[in-house]
Amino acid sequence: MPLSALRPMEPKPDRAAALIRTEALSVTLGRGTGRQEILHDIDLAVPEGAFVCLIGPSGCGKSTLLKALGGLVLPSAGRVTVAGLEPAEAARRRMIGLVFQDANLLPWKNALDNVALLRGIADKSLSRAELRERAQAMLDLVELGDAARRRPHELSGGMRQRVAIARALALDPAVLLMDEPFGALDAITRDAMSRSLLDIWQRTGKTIILVTHSIEEAVYLASEVHVMGIRPGRIIETLHVPLPYPRGDAVLDSAEFGQAERRLRALLRLSHQPGDGR
Amino acid sequence: MSLGTASLADVERPGWRVATEGWLPALILAFAAVLAWEAAVRVFSVSPYIVPAPSAIVAALWREWPTLASATLVTAREILIGFVVSAVVGIALALLIVRFDWLGRALYPLIVLFQNVPKVALAPIFILWFGYDLAPKIGLITVIAFFPVTLSMLAGMESVDPSLLALMRSVGTGATDILFKIRVPHSLPQLMAGLKIAATFSVIGAIVGEFAGASAGLGYTIQFASTQLDTALVFAALALVSVLGVGFYYLVELVETIAVPWAPKFNRD
Repeated sequence: MPLSALRPMEPKPDRAAALIRTEALSVTLGRGTGRQEILHDIDLAVPEGAFVCLIGPSGCGKSTLLKALGGLVLPSAGRVTVAGLEPAEAARRRMIGLVFQDANLLPWKNALDNVALLRGIADKSLSRAELRERAQAMLDLVELGDAARRRPHELSGGMRQRVAIARALALDPAVLLMDEPFGALDAITRDAMSRSLLDIWQRTGKTIILVTHSIEEAVYLASEVHVMGIRPGRIIETLHVPLPYPRGDAVLDSAEFGQAERRLRALLRLSHQPGDGR
Repeated sequence: MSLGTASLADVERPGWRVATEGWLPALILAFAAVLAWEAAVRVFSVSPYIVPAPSAIVAALWREWPTLASATLVTAREILIGFVVSAVVGIALALLIVRFDWLGRALYPLIVLFQNVPKVALAPIFILWFGYDLAPKIGLITVIAFFPVTLSMLAGMESVDPSLLALMRSVGTGATDILFKIRVPHSLPQLMAGLKIAATFSVIGAIVGEFAGASAGLGYTIQFASTQLDTALVFAALALVSVLGVGFYYLVELVETIAVPWAPKFNRD
């Protein structure tokens, strides 16, 4: 597996270079009187190789936006493209790796077989040995190389989530879509996972879009944070985080970090106000 | 139990508390109950036709052993075959219902409707159709025992996390792969719970089947002995039925431990 050298990331606002793009995306869910516009007029351009966080209050539709990007929810207006393709088509071509809050591992398979599962189904060209080799490499990447034979119930919550990340990476996707992947973990494990994820991102060069409601997590991880508001769910502001990668622990104490946190907190206060008199 | 808590118990618990560990409480209670039974029958000189003393039941067991042993074998065979048929029918129905949506919508209400027919009442009809041998017992056991198998497997297959299904489908996993690679293994712990219920229902089915018409078996022995007012023999046969039932139950549990090691276990942690 080629591990690209650590490289500093510059956020590229250039829309032409965007790997993932939404144009006037709206999503309406529910039937009859329960019908509700969850997302309204979202324009998003995520450059290749970026680490983007979506943050916002509950009910702002950040998970729905992520699902729309992954092809799990269809737009009711506007369009979404991943590398120029419909998201569902991109997913079938193994270009999208999904990680949810729950690791969703199969309890009857060990870590290695869980990691190999999706790739094995989506890609019949690999032999069993190649598949296992790849799964083992991904487990090594998430620092679980020696836990390959262990079943999910023998792993901690953080380790299970690492397996889920390895499973997504085993697809060799262009983009990782992560829906509050560390939401169910304790604070100490969260910090360790954040550090690992940055490391994995820099080593693999994947584009990552991560939904969170932790301000600190968003500032620490992302090159670009999209702040979402409610009723209807929309992007109210995009914040560029001017901290260079790799971000060591010293970054957390820097003035820029504190500044970005304060700015984000102020934006999130705004985000609770419904827009356009709806 | 982990080693840590076990050693803690050694330190803190007085010696007599050993009696409250493991199987011992159940054994002590059973022994006390049998003793009280024996004493009550002797003290109040209860007629052996009404309630025989435990010692009389053991004597009957000893005296009639050859008859009882062959009756046990006959009934065990009915239970085993009936249970296997119920399991196969129950699992097949659950798979068909989940795999073919339209078939599920057609079948499921009918199965629930059929479940409300008092199946014990079918025993005479099965005798009429299939005669006095093995076949009517297998039929009766199957109609009684397939339902918990189907229901538990359905519940297990439908309780797969929707986001796992979304994940599988996003890479283009087909319905058959989702059924056999995800839903079926996921349902196994619940299926095993259903099979344990089916195991006990199979015993009931065999005995009811023999009551309705048979020339051998423990149910037949119970009926025959009661017409002879040999109540001790009735109880002896009843004891053997219970042993059979418990045996089948633990056989299924043994299979579970081997086949579904990740199943949640009561009384283990």
